[in-house]
Amino acid sequence: MTATSGTKKLVLYVAGETPKSIAAIRNLEKICTESVPGKYTIEVIDLKKNPQLAREHNIVAIPTLVRELPTPIRKIIGDLSNSEKVLVNLQVGGEE
Amino acid sequence: MNLNKPELSKDELYRRLEEAEEIIRAIREGEIDALVIRSSAVSAEEVFTLDGGAESYRSFLEAMDVGAAAFDAGGNFLYGNAALCSLLDKSFDQLASRGFLGVFDKHNREVIRTAIAEAQQHKSKAEVQVIVGSQLKRLMFHADALKLGVTDAVALTFTDITDRILSEQRQEAERTALAILSSAAEAVVVSDLDGIVTHANTAAVTLAACNPVGMRFGEAFALEFKAATGLMQGDDFLSLALSGQSVQGVEAIAPKGRVTQDVLVSAAPLRVAENQTQGAVVTLVDLSRRKIAEKQQLLLMRELDHRVKNTLALVVSISNRTASTEDTVDGFRQAFSGRIHALAATHNVLAERAWSSILLSELVTAELAPFIHDLHRRFTISSGDIEILPRAAVPLGLIVHELATNAAKYGALSAEGGTVSVVLEPENDGNSRVITWEEHGGPAVKEPTKRGFGRTVIEKSLSYSPDGGASLEFNESGIRCRIRIPVEDITSPEVDG
Repeated sequence: MTATSGTKKLVLYVAGETPKSIAAIRNLEKICTESVPGKYTIEVIDLKKNPQLAREHNIVAIPTLVRELPTPIRKIIGDLSNSEKVLVNLQVGGEE
Repeated sequence: MNLNKPELSKDELYRRLEEAEEIIRAIREGEIDALVIRSSAVSAEEVFTLDGGAESYRSFLEAMDVGAAAFDAGGNFLYGNAALCSLLDKSFDQLASRGFLGVFDKHNREVIRTAIAEAQQHKSKAEVQVIVGSQLKRLMFHADALKLGVTDAVALTFTDITDRILSEQRQEAERTALAILSSAAEAVVVSDLDGIVTHANTAAVTLAACNPVGMRFGEAFALEFKAATGLMQGDDFLSLALSGQSVQGVEAIAPKGRVTQDVLVSAAPLRVAENQTQGAVVTLVDLSRRKIAEKQQLLLMRELDHRVKNTLALVVSISNRTASTEDTVDGFRQAFSGRIHALAATHNVLAERAWSSILLSELVTAELAPFIHDLHRRFTISSGDIEILPRAAVPLGLIVHELATNAAKYGALSAEGGTVSVVLEPENDGNSRVITWEEHGGPAVKEPTKRGFGRTVIEKSLSYSPDGGASLEFNESGIRCRIRIPVEDITSPEVDG
């Protein structure tokens, strides 16, 4: 699921407005803005509203961030408060 | 093995295993707060949250009157209630998108951030400021730790204290204004737009001889404007100030006090805000002291005029009499200038003492100074001291000068080792106080055959009163002069020492 040229899409699965879901959204926005600006677009999927969408990426724990490309697919589970861990996982198998 | 399921590659198996371990770790470490469970009955996914009461806490926050917000331990804004949105005039989405702290400036942001970071260790409270619309709001917030399900969180409550602080500041300003009013030494009166006195300090109450609050200004003080020939009354004066004009420094009489006072009246409009006149402020400065000082000055001018005339008359007399007794111009010059200097020496000492009185010892010392260098060795003054008024001091100065001149020319001060003593009699002799000038150790003395002006000065200068005068004795051992000073020209009892 590549977004517009040069940017890659990250999909963040949340469950409504649970504290961890909100924290994950804020932390991801911060990481993308401050550390890798313009590199990713973020799609937030609320499984509270559409639980069936969990199936596509076989989501079990919420919040979970999915990086589809480059393969292999990477899943980062938790509220993304450890920004170093997030950046390392985003870059595994990537060109950076 | 289920034969219907496709075989998974080894890499895929490792990946799934790794993911399963990551999920277990995340659950164990409390990094997630919801799980997706596939219900076998309906073959559909369902989401179960582990937020352990977070929803009820949010409902609780919403029910609060004060602004409340929840943050996670990392400072992420989780919730903000409607009262907080209203306080900051922002929607929840606006607060969420600006990260809440973005509403505040750098300094105040840091204050809140620190409170959040330290909330797990201790509660705290602080004041922050924020611009809402165009108004600066002052908010007091409390920060405390909170557990939202598996999340360590921080609750912040905000109370708007702007009005309270403004009210306190207004009260403080009013207290200060009243304190200034009551501390002012001059009378200060404040009136409303109708000319009714609303405030008056102690000095004003004294001037009105009653508490003027509630009375018309004109009626309370009944000022009389001397220069206005009855055209201006107290209320007219106030009307000028109420119409926005300042009136300064008009002299008036305030007749209602215990003593009728001369006052200097000024009035100005009382402008509280945006040039709106809300009344008038009148100050009444007591001119009594100034009037007394002016009278004193007039008296002094007259006294000075009198003294100058007297002195000039004395100088003319000295000049004429010296000229009639001296044979040469040089003799005249020496005798005349010596006498003028003697007059000046007494004047100087009297001027230093503001023409009040002069100490006998000071007068004698000043007159002898030009004649004796080793004053302490050759001159003694004993039996205390007295204060002498100017009327006696000027002639006494001339007498001492004549005695000293004679002593230096012919008497004790003309010979090495000669001495002069001045003795003040301890008791009055009738209405006189006697001072004796006595010379010792000089050449043998004979009574002069010719009577000079100096002798006249000595014998006659104090004769303005029957109790004053001087008599000379020409003893062979030295001149002795008995000087009588009228007691009425001595101001104070003698001072020992």
